[in-house]
Amino acid sequence: MFNKGFTTNFNITYSAMMWLLVAQLVVMAPLLFYLPIWIFPVLLFSAGWRMRVMQGHQEQPQKILKTIIAGVGIAGLFFSGMPMVSLDMMASLLMLGFAYKALEVVEKRDALVVILTGFLLIGVLFIYSQSMLVALYGAFALMILTGALIALQHDGAIQIDNSHKSTRALLNRIIPNLKLSTLMLLLCLPLMLMFFIVVPRFAPLWSVALSGGGHAKTGISDSMTPGDIANLSQSDGLAFTVKFMGERPQQNELYWRGIVMQHFDGKTWTQSSESFEPETIKRKLRTDVQAIRNRLVKKGYGREYEIIYEKTAQPWLFALTPVVNIKGDALYGSDYTLMARADLLEPKMLSLTSYPDAIRDEYLDEKTRQRSLQLPKGGNPQTRNLVKRLLLQSSTKMDYITRVMSRFKQQNYYYTLRPGLLGDFNTIDEFLINNKKGFCAHYAGSFVFMMREAGIPARVVTGYQGGKWNEQGQFLSVHQYDAHAWTEVWLKGKGWVRFDPTAMVAPSRIEKNLELAVGPEGGFLENKIFSMKKYSWLNKLQSKMDSAQYAWRRFVLGYDRNSQSAFLKRVFGELSLQKIAMIVSGFFIGIIMLWSLLLGLGRKPQREAEEHQLYRKFCQHLEKYGVNKKLSQSPTEFSQYAASQLPSLAKDIEVFTQYYSQLCYNPSPAETTSEKNSITVLRDLLNKIKKGKFSESSGSF
Amino acid sequence: MATRLLQEIEASLNELNNIILGKEQQVRLALTCILASGHLLLEDLPGMGKTTLAHALSKVLGLDYKRIQFTSDLLPADLIGASVFDATASTFSFHRGPIFSSIFLADELNRATPKAQSALLEAMEEGQVSVDGETHVLPQPFFVIATQNPQSQSGTFPLPESQLDRFMFRLSLGYPDPSVERALLKGGQGRSALNNVQQILNTESLQQIQRLIPQIKVSDTLLDYVQRLIAQTRQDELCQLGLSPRGAIALVTSAQCWALLQGRSHVMPEDVQAVFVAVAGHRIVGKKETQGDQLARHILHSVDAVGNRAPV
Repeated sequence: MFNKGFTTNFNITYSAMMWLLVAQLVVMAPLLFYLPIWIFPVLLFSAGWRMRVMQGHQEQPQKILKTIIAGVGIAGLFFSGMPMVSLDMMASLLMLGFAYKALEVVEKRDALVVILTGFLLIGVLFIYSQSMLVALYGAFALMILTGALIALQHDGAIQIDNSHKSTRALLNRIIPNLKLSTLMLLLCLPLMLMFFIVVPRFAPLWSVALSGGGHAKTGISDSMTPGDIANLSQSDGLAFTVKFMGERPQQNELYWRGIVMQHFDGKTWTQSSESFEPETIKRKLRTDVQAIRNRLVKKGYGREYEIIYEKTAQPWLFALTPVVNIKGDALYGSDYTLMARADLLEPKMLSLTSYPDAIRDEYLDEKTRQRSLQLPKGGNPQTRNLVKRLLLQSSTKMDYITRVMSRFKQQNYYYTLRPGLLGDFNTIDEFLINNKKGFCAHYAGSFVFMMREAGIPARVVTGYQGGKWNEQGQFLSVHQYDAHAWTEVWLKGKGWVRFDPTAMVAPSRIEKNLELAVGPEGGFLENKIFSMKKYSWLNKLQSKMDSAQYAWRRFVLGYDRNSQSAFLKRVFGELSLQKIAMIVSGFFIGIIMLWSLLLGLGRKPQREAEEHQLYRKFCQHLEKYGVNKKLSQSPTEFSQYAASQLPSLAKDIEVFTQYYSQLCYNPSPAETTSEKNSITVLRDLLNKIKKGKFSESSGSF
Repeated sequence: MATRLLQEIEASLNELNNIILGKEQQVRLALTCILASGHLLLEDLPGMGKTTLAHALSKVLGLDYKRIQFTSDLLPADLIGASVFDATASTFSFHRGPIFSSIFLADELNRATPKAQSALLEAMEEGQVSVDGETHVLPQPFFVIATQNPQSQSGTFPLPESQLDRFMFRLSLGYPDPSVERALLKGGQGRSALNNVQQILNTESLQQIQRLIPQIKVSDTLLDYVQRLIAQTRQDELCQLGLSPRGAIALVTSAQCWALLQGRSHVMPEDVQAVFVAVAGHRIVGKKETQGDQLARHILHSVDAVGNRAPV
């Protein structure tokens, strides 16, 4: 109303610019782990320039200059080596624009563009990581962005006051914005939960190649070349977490079987004779659950457990073998492995049932036997001689296996993570006869070699062994450093039997963990700065964090399409599309109503004092008799007019008006009793006026 | 005592009505303004009896009064006075101008230049004048009754809103009724009758009345109404410039005074309504052709006179 003479300021204020810059930094920081890091200086450069412009030191850049700068940035992206059509490229382009835009923020709508892009970038961040910490950071970034949005609307109300540059004054300007933005986000929380829990999830209609830093392959590799690894580097990244429904198996029973390696070319173990792509291997291996069950003889009892796999960008899944039942989406492989339908780009949850004591493949088909006996021609003469010698000494196959196993124990074999290189030829000889130093891959590889040389079907299996039990959360977390390789030997009547030669050399590796097995020699996570194994309180903290993150994975990330429909079915019964729509709109309306209550929209308008209500009723009654009060008529005026119109009621009208005027305009200060009396009198008079007119009109008939 | 004062007021009104025929309401408002210590602006066409009313008021109140006819060549010194060299004493001595009187009649205020106008308005605001670095206090009470011609008349300098705001009331007398006019034409009345006006109120009674005004009760319900009115002036779609807080205070004070003149000890909505147009008419500015008193009346009619609903 009173904005005449004042022009509305569309330009952004200095403090809003500061807010914007902070928000931009907050949004961009985590993405720099995944995208080109030089975009960060671009932001600093643009914002710095813009600040200098605002302070009057510099001019706003010309169009040509801006075009050149933008061109340089795009060229930088082009030469950064990312594929042209990929998520990374798009995200980087968005980030680059986000960073450059800081230079152009002059008007409020520019800032609005930046903030909205910021919201989008927070979403992009979740493509790269969905951990609990990232989610918390995302919430924080949302808060800052919303705060910037609020600061933007503060039309210079917060002035830059150089005389009050104390921290306190600064906080006084920042905290109200943050409070408001937090409140706004909290108001949105129910809506978010509703969308998360109820709204159906659809598969994406299209997808872009995911590659680069964000989705590097992690975990077990498809092939095994022990001789090339002089120094096994390790990662403390999480592979998967397991929750057992019943009793937890012994630590030395926890063989999480992953990939079966059938083929040996003298140096490298691979899954098949040709180096197929994972997709091809999957297609070849794929079988159905019935085929698996037919090849099994169930023994012992089943283990039920729930596994949440971390993303690996690979399709291989790990489980206690053999798995006979899967709840969730996974494929069975004919060699008792499990595979995901697509590469794991996000955490995946499965409920599995395994019978670890079952007999697998009582009868071996010829094709598998051939494959399980494959060895390269020539090479490793010393080992072959050794096999011959041992075979001569042993009476049965089992005796031979025992001899080979005990050889690892009796001879001077040494378990180490720093075995040294074994060269390119005769790697088995090099290890078995000369070096005698190695880790699981060396032992497993040479063991299988010796079995096959002796005509016993055998294969290398890789996966994870053991895991760390979290007492607080009652779950087992298996890390990358639990990766392991062991062997399976086919014996008549017993099927595939697991042999782990490493257990002979370093029993503590299997029974306890890798750290103990390596012992004082070191090599366990030694190049990790944040290896916290040394401090007990850090360990406890770590265990707490692990358990919180497990809960996050289990209940938030694990809540996928399957568990959503299961949950909704459990709560609302069988679901149709209409029913879902009803539920969603029901929730929606409920939340809107909650908001309106919170925001006071449903509050009743302020009621007038009782005497005024009575007076309005009085006017309404007279209105019925055709005497209308004009809006601006004062009570006295109206009473004179009404009395002249309704002579029969004149007295009552006058008295009523008198009481009312007295009460309203000449109230006695302290006496509330007289006020109450007056109101009673008013009420009585009102009734009288109501009836009085009636009796008069009936009398006139 | 109060009854004596009321009688005196009643008598004064009679005396004034003998001079200004057929304008009881305006006369009562004019007296209200003076009794509420406000300055009065009479705006009308020439020859409507503005000066007569001003004259009569000063006579009835028995206050010394001076009058200046404002012209375009009037200088501030003509109003306030000037330092004059006294040859015998060899000093400068201040000769008081006509403004040093209890009632100052500024006739045709808007004929003077803004310089002279503002000299007067400064005196109205401060109650004192400064000449050559010396401050001279004006006599108490000090009232300014100004008359002005409508601004569409030629040779006028319109007063800006900020200066109009210092007048409590602006009144127009308007053309007389035909019967009254006939009586005027028959003669006998007019300026000559001014000489017969009796002094009825004295300074002491005036002060007593002025002390009584704040004691007139203003209830919350009434203030609700006043605030609704003020709010309406500020948000009405026809209104560009609303009532200032000074204007609002003037409204309440003058309503109290009006109630006193009615012999009541509390203010009623009709008191507010009676003074509203005189208080608001010259302070508010309309967006369209509806201006001044007409706009004030429009606002008065669009506000609910009863209840305690808060202003929107």
